[in-house]
Amino acid sequence: MAKILIVEDDKDLNNAYKIILQSEKHKVKTAFNGEEALVLLKNYTPDLILLDLLMPILGGLELLERYDLKKHSKVRVLIFTNMENSPEVTKAYNLGATRCIIKSWTAPQNLSKVVNDTLKSTNTQLKLA
Amino acid sequence: MPANSSPKHEYEGQRALAEVLFNSIGDGAATTDEFGKITRINPTGLSIIGYSEEEVLGAWFPKLFIAYDENSQPVPLIDRPVTRAFVSGEIISERTHYRHKSGRLIPISMTISPIMVKNQPVGCIEIFRDITREYEIDKMKSDFISLASHQLRTPLSAIKTYSHMLIDGFMGGLTKPQLRALQTIVSASNRMNETISTLLNITRIESGSIIVSRKPISINQIIEEVINEHRLAAKDKKISVSFNQSDKPVVIISDAVVIKEVLSNLISNGIKYTPANGKVVLALKSKGGQAVISVADSGVGIPESSKDSVFTKFFRAENVIRQETSGTGLGLYLVKGLINELGGDVWFDSSENKGSTFYISLPLLPNTISVKSVKK
Repeated sequence: MAKILIVEDDKDLNNAYKIILQSEKHKVKTAFNGEEALVLLKNYTPDLILLDLLMPILGGLELLERYDLKKHSKVRVLIFTNMENSPEVTKAYNLGATRCIIKSWTAPQNLSKVVNDTLKSTNTQLKLA
Repeated sequence: MPANSSPKHEYEGQRALAEVLFNSIGDGAATTDEFGKITRINPTGLSIIGYSEEEVLGAWFPKLFIAYDENSQPVPLIDRPVTRAFVSGEIISERTHYRHKSGRLIPISMTISPIMVKNQPVGCIEIFRDITREYEIDKMKSDFISLASHQLRTPLSAIKTYSHMLIDGFMGGLTKPQLRALQTIVSASNRMNETISTLLNITRIESGSIIVSRKPISINQIIEEVINEHRLAAKDKKISVSFNQSDKPVVIISDAVVIKEVLSNLISNGIKYTPANGKVVLALKSKGGQAVISVADSGVGIPESSKDSVFTKFFRAENVIRQETSGTGLGLYLVKGLINELGGDVWFDSSENKGSTFYISLPLLPNTISVKSVKK
């Protein structure tokens, strides 16, 4: 059981991820853009942030720039995006993201598996799932 | 003999004509001697790089025409087109960047040819063109496809996620027909995803913005992984997919994601175009500094009349169109583009109604010089 923050602007997907991860007994909080997430992160340290990149108000990359992962080295960041193999993904890794997967390729059972694997990993892995 | 038709006058007349022709070329044109010193440049060439004729003539070509890569980094001298043209004696045609006198980098399309006299290079001639406008259009096209793909994938993610949640029982039990209907939705959304990926990759190849990473990878392992991804589709069509392992594992330095995409396309084609109870057999050999992977099927084969256009965009063989097998005609075009990006090659043997074998070769060690010559 882990503390997970979902940051995803699509309400349907945000809700789906919440249902899936809660079914695995994780404690889940949700935000719909980077700014909402930053407000939550002031008084809350999750084990993992499930992070979309392209969001209104404040995107995933901007969130990573403001939420310095060097100061929160135990927080894993799983990028969940549809921007396949793009410069944005490379930048997310450079900002300390642990792993990146393509949303539209990922079935729910794989989401749980990838989240659990990412929670176990300790180092930044520069690869696409 | 009239005074103006003496051999000397004829020679001078021809020389003046050559000068006029050279200066009238609508693209930039420059020549060098055998030591790489610039001996001639036309007005268009001067206007592209912003220097005067006095500044250019006699200058060492690689010093004035420094080639820069996509990341604005100077290309090492050994890899520059002018060096490669001299070393290989071949015509080199490619895109690069030159620096204008003002400091601005200009995207350039160029062709450089060695000037050969009695089989000895005595210099080079380069024709080059400022392609800033084409670059901007390419970038706009690439940005549009990336954005459109992203916007298409967002609803697709929701369709797929909720379909899977229904299948997995998150919203209660389902009847068998309901389950089959949902599996069809998932399968169709997977196909749409593949098409989006293909379009994205083609756009990246064509705009030169594909990102290729190079790490040590086991080809054997990649082949097995990709075969596993296609087991279900093969089983549905009663087609056996097997891999003849090489004696020892073949490790190369290349991009695993790109190779998987290539193999996935070839295996998927093998399954798609092979009738039930057929087979798809993969093999791996290392030969002459290359890892060679073959994908052989016992399918419909490619008619002789279609063989020349197999790797062209939107290619669909006549015998395949008749059978109405679904396909975009982009798969093999993508395979060829991706393999070229990895410095490899792709080719095939095929007999109609007997089957096809596609081969891809990949260098066992990364190339130190990537020669992209023009075959005329």
